[in-house]
Amino acid sequence: MITFKNVSKLYKPDTKALDGISFHVRPGEFVSIVGTSGSGKTTLAKLLFAEEKPTGGSIHVGDWDISRIRRSEVPALRRQIGVVFQDYKLLPKKTAYENAAFALEVAGAPASRIREVVPQVLKIVGLADKMHRYPRQLSGGEQQRVSIARALVHRPKIILADEPTGNLDAITSREIVELLKRINDVGTTVILVTHDRDIVNAMRKRVITIQNGKIVSDAEHGKYHLG
Amino acid sequence: MRSLLRLVKFALQSVFRNFWLSFVTTSVLLLTLLTVNMLIVLNVLADSTIKSIQDKVQVEVYFNAGTSEEIEKSVHGYLQALPQVKDVAVIPATQSLETFKSLHADDPEVLAALDEVGGNPIGDSLLISANNPDDFEFILAALDSSPEYAPYIKEKNYADHKAVIERLSGFSDKVRLGGLGLAGFFALISVLIVFNTIRVAIYVHRDEIAVMKLVGAPDWFVRGPFLLEAIFYSAAATALMGVGATLILKFLEPQIQSFFAGVDVNLAAYYWENLAIIFGAQFLALSALSMITTLFAMRKYLKT
Repeated sequence: MITFKNVSKLYKPDTKALDGISFHVRPGEFVSIVGTSGSGKTTLAKLLFAEEKPTGGSIHVGDWDISRIRRSEVPALRRQIGVVFQDYKLLPKKTAYENAAFALEVAGAPASRIREVVPQVLKIVGLADKMHRYPRQLSGGEQQRVSIARALVHRPKIILADEPTGNLDAITSREIVELLKRINDVGTTVILVTHDRDIVNAMRKRVITIQNGKIVSDAEHGKYHLG
Repeated sequence: MRSLLRLVKFALQSVFRNFWLSFVTTSVLLLTLLTVNMLIVLNVLADSTIKSIQDKVQVEVYFNAGTSEEIEKSVHGYLQALPQVKDVAVIPATQSLETFKSLHADDPEVLAALDEVGGNPIGDSLLISANNPDDFEFILAALDSSPEYAPYIKEKNYADHKAVIERLSGFSDKVRLGGLGLAGFFALISVLIVFNTIRVAIYVHRDEIAVMKLVGAPDWFVRGPFLLEAIFYSAAATALMGVGATLILKFLEPQIQSFFAGVDVNLAAYYWENLAIIFGAQFLALSALSMITTLFAMRKYLKT
């Protein structure tokens, strides 16, 4: 499903964010990528949805070779990977419904499909009763649920969550991770990029640990063991 | 088609949900159009005034005393047939003498000569109006070069008017050139103001543009609503300017008419007759400018 082969990323003048990273993610896996600040995990996430290009190596997601992807192909790739961000990245002048619908609208989905899918997805994330509220009228956890709903509307095979609990309290964080686990349970591959020790340890799923741009451990039922 | 309708929907949503930004942008565009329309009004007023003065310039051609009515009629017909001539009026000899005397009131030698001759040595005269004062030279040359009529012409007072006509032509050219320069200057200022306003509007939306890109919107889908917004703002500003111009002209027309008494100036009629051209051109120019600026301002935010 996802293959990183000897991937490196250099930032000018001489910062090595990633240094020869290689790993493979099978379909339906839940993988946590952990590391301290500056370890390179967010760079890895950016490479995965083509916000940046690797300096060396290759990245394959399904049939896509992301390391060689053309600029014009990026929107199509992004519609196949649901991305959840730490700062939610919602459109402030659109309601929860409109934010989720937007991801389908840009793909040219018919209105009937949007009317069918968006309420379903908002119900899954527990926002059926708040779908017409604007982001400013929602709590942080609710905004993150909207972000997850938006990531889900395409029924993507992969969900990439980059520090999705970074701005949330412990209880809300657990709720969000539970939601991601439920999404994984129905067969969606989930990549969770985080530095939240409690969440990683509670899940007992595969953990890839990155330090100084290199993978220092890749454990099937791993734990967060950085200082 | 579905996508186009969505772009229109997003653009309209953005216009109304960012009301103050839309209000400020439209206001700036409106002020730009106000400047343009003030220049148009000034140009129309200057043109009308100059034309009215030009219309008042007439040249008199005096016949020798005793010239037959038949010849006078023939000259009258000859001049009237020239395309450069607007009108020719026959002035009887008595009136011609009075005019001649008043023109030379401060020339005692001429008046003394008249007294010495006694009676009325001047025949009837023709008062010529030209379509353009610059044409008088041609009209009078045509008369001089006609062997049929030249012997009957005693005098023409063109030389007296020549300096005035030349000064008027020069002034009118300068006014037009000045108007053009002023219009160019204000157009440049307007372009800069519109350019910066749209840039600020796009800057306000920069995070939104990034989010659109991150959820997989292609470039044209991100650009579309902003380009349509630019057209909506331009349309709103042009429509408001049209309504504003109508109301202002309705209110000011009587004052303008009385201020420019004697000058044939009808701004409302001018605007009404050229409505489609004036506001159509303004809308198209403003839309093009706003859209180009939008595309330019969005470039760096579309890179993610």
